[in-house]
Amino acid sequence: MGPDVFLLTSLSLGFMVLSAGAYALLYGAARLKESRGLLLLARLAYATLALDAAGLVLATPLALAWKLLIAASALAYLGIPPVTWRFLEHTHRHEGAHT
Amino acid sequence: MSRSKNLAVRYLAAAVLFFGVMTLSGLMSAIYYINPDFLFGLLHFSVAKMLHIDTMIIWLLMGFMGAVYWFLPEEFGREPAGIWAAELLFWIFVAAVLVVAAIFVFVQWGPGTETTLWLVQQGRKYVEAPRWAAIGVALVMLVFAWNVVGTAVAARRVTGVMAVMSVNMVPLVLLYLIAFPKIDNMAVDLYWWWWLVHLWVEATWEILIGCIMALAMMKLLGTSRQIVEGWLYIEVAMVLGTGILGLGHHYFWIGTPDYWLGIGGFFSALEPLPLLGMVVHAVYDAGVHRMQTTNRPAFYWTLAEAFGNFLGGGMFGFMITLPQLNLFAHGTQWTVSHGHFAFWGAYACGVLSVCYIALQEQRGLARVNGSGWVWAFVLLNTGLIGMVGSLLVAGMAQAFFERAIGGSTLEAFIAGQENPWFMLGMYSRFGFGLMFGAGYVVLAFNLLGLGRREAAVAMKPLPAE
Amino acid sequence: MQYDDPKFWRAGAISTTVVMAIVLVMLTIDSLGAINPGGSHVPPYEVINRHIDYAHNRKLGRDMPIVGADEPLFGKPVTTAEATGLIERGKLVIQSRACIDCHTFMGNGAYYAPDLTKAWLDPAWNTWMAITGAESKEEAMARFLMTPDQYSTWQRRMPNLNISRDEAVATVAYLKWLSAIDTNGFPIHFGRMKVGE
Repeated sequence: MGPDVFLLTSLSLGFMVLSAGAYALLYGAARLKESRGLLLLARLAYATLALDAAGLVLATPLALAWKLLIAASALAYLGIPPVTWRFLEHTHRHEGAHT
Repeated sequence: MSRSKNLAVRYLAAAVLFFGVMTLSGLMSAIYYINPDFLFGLLHFSVAKMLHIDTMIIWLLMGFMGAVYWFLPEEFGREPAGIWAAELLFWIFVAAVLVVAAIFVFVQWGPGTETTLWLVQQGRKYVEAPRWAAIGVALVMLVFAWNVVGTAVAARRVTGVMAVMSVNMVPLVLLYLIAFPKIDNMAVDLYWWWWLVHLWVEATWEILIGCIMALAMMKLLGTSRQIVEGWLYIEVAMVLGTGILGLGHHYFWIGTPDYWLGIGGFFSALEPLPLLGMVVHAVYDAGVHRMQTTNRPAFYWTLAEAFGNFLGGGMFGFMITLPQLNLFAHGTQWTVSHGHFAFWGAYACGVLSVCYIALQEQRGLARVNGSGWVWAFVLLNTGLIGMVGSLLVAGMAQAFFERAIGGSTLEAFIAGQENPWFMLGMYSRFGFGLMFGAGYVVLAFNLLGLGRREAAVAMKPLPAE
Repeated sequence: MQYDDPKFWRAGAISTTVVMAIVLVMLTIDSLGAINPGGSHVPPYEVINRHIDYAHNRKLGRDMPIVGADEPLFGKPVTTAEATGLIERGKLVIQSRACIDCHTFMGNGAYYAPDLTKAWLDPAWNTWMAITGAESKEEAMARFLMTPDQYSTWQRRMPNLNISRDEAVATVAYLKWLSAIDTNGFPIHFGRMKVGE
């Protein structure tokens, strides 16, 4: 792997996780405020993650196994915020009021 | 207030004190990169660095202990077993740390003999303390474990959180024994050393801070125990499920078989996933409570914990964890960047949150707010992120010029270190380090004076009629 | 629903931890075999009697250490026991002076001073032989270690750590052995510059 490709790949991996964080934050905000605008932004954040992951899979010299891992991670990042949110709402539903 | 809570406040105070020592020695370490003649012949980089990283471990450990001693009597409804031993050992622990620091500064090294390892320093990263001090630390931790587990036994009941904490004590204490041996073979030495370091900071410490944050959430937000315990078990499953074999990301280059490249890289790449779940949880808690709480600094520091853990450990780790990339980034300032961010996010923020929780009760404050904590919060976090960003730039330059291009020789090392981007990173890191230091001073004053001004105002005599 | 019940997740936590821990223990047993001297990745200590090199292995697709012909340290071959003694002493020196708090070993340590994994193979020693007036690389290394403050490396200087002659010889032996460990290709293309793709 050449020097430039290495730097770009590393930064892309970091950007992927950063996008996941942005997506999670915006998704949560969208659900709290019941805002379609925020949900759209959340989806855009995920779209950047997906594009970034696609770039990693299509344009880097990583071996196939690692590319599959990246693709699977990208899918997992898609599911974590809604699944977690659903679980949180469900477990809090029968909880007493907070003071 | 109970004896355990009083001890907790002492431990938290000691933690904040050593946090200051860590910050000062960190600033010193940064100066050498800018002025290599700094204190040459008197006190070299290695000593400043040893103080910096060892006080980091110490202040966080003391912070954890303070947090646990704080919550123990509430969890068990009684004074912890063996509290007298813990009270005595606190003073011995603090004194030992001060003595070891003095030895590091004034003695610094000794001849290549076992005596040096026993009396002066052992020269293994994070666990440089001489063996006599390591015995002391092991004793402190054994008593700590007794205080937790023994109380559960004496109370004949244990909450889910305390059960997790009790079980976690076993590997926490046993792993520390790796600080003792002198292993000739560097590959074997590093193999076991990573069991201690990784299975502390990416396993048992994660569980410990998870337990502490669970207790903090119940206190700050009134979250039910059932919910908090369910989350704790999920976190244990995911953190240990990824972190135990994620240990392999330290086994890429130390002479171990190459199957670790696949195993370590794979599990390590999964480590950010549970951290994202924690971010979602933090957003939920913040939103559902509309950011309202009687203790705003404690709440904000727990939010910082969730985000910092994810970004520092998850994002910054993911950049360098795949082995074919780690080959370039390993052992550069990139590692330093990740390390600072991860330790800060995963542990420091959590400990600071508990400081505010404990002080609220200790000083009898209905609400904790004000501008002091905000200044500390902003300065510390901005300073930290600035340092981390600076180190990232320097690390990328180093990985690029020294490793990817230069062939990692002495000449390549020097070329990397002299690279303008690298030097920019070093100056910038120092600048942000000063900001961080300022934040520490504000934090210390804020913690010292919390609630005292209101109390003083409340106690002012009424004007004469 | 059982997902509400913390006991469900507790069972998951316990089983996950146990399975992962068992796998780790099994891999550790295997790895310890490989990393003990004479194992697949770590040479026996008496490799310090031989010439060490590091080159690209096309079949494996990475750099590998190469153990060559006889080339005893300081011109004096050592027995296995003597080599072990040197390694033991060398490690004591490395720990007593906290070398790992300025340098890195296999990339682990501090980043103020160079990585020492392949220090034995560094081309700079040719120049250092002239600077120190030594007739061999190992003699140059030993002289440097004993009085590093007399030799200006660069703007960052190594302090004098009162390393005796015996200690310096043991440390040089340690570094020679260290350079022969198969580190799965770290550092990449050591000693060879790579410009462009």
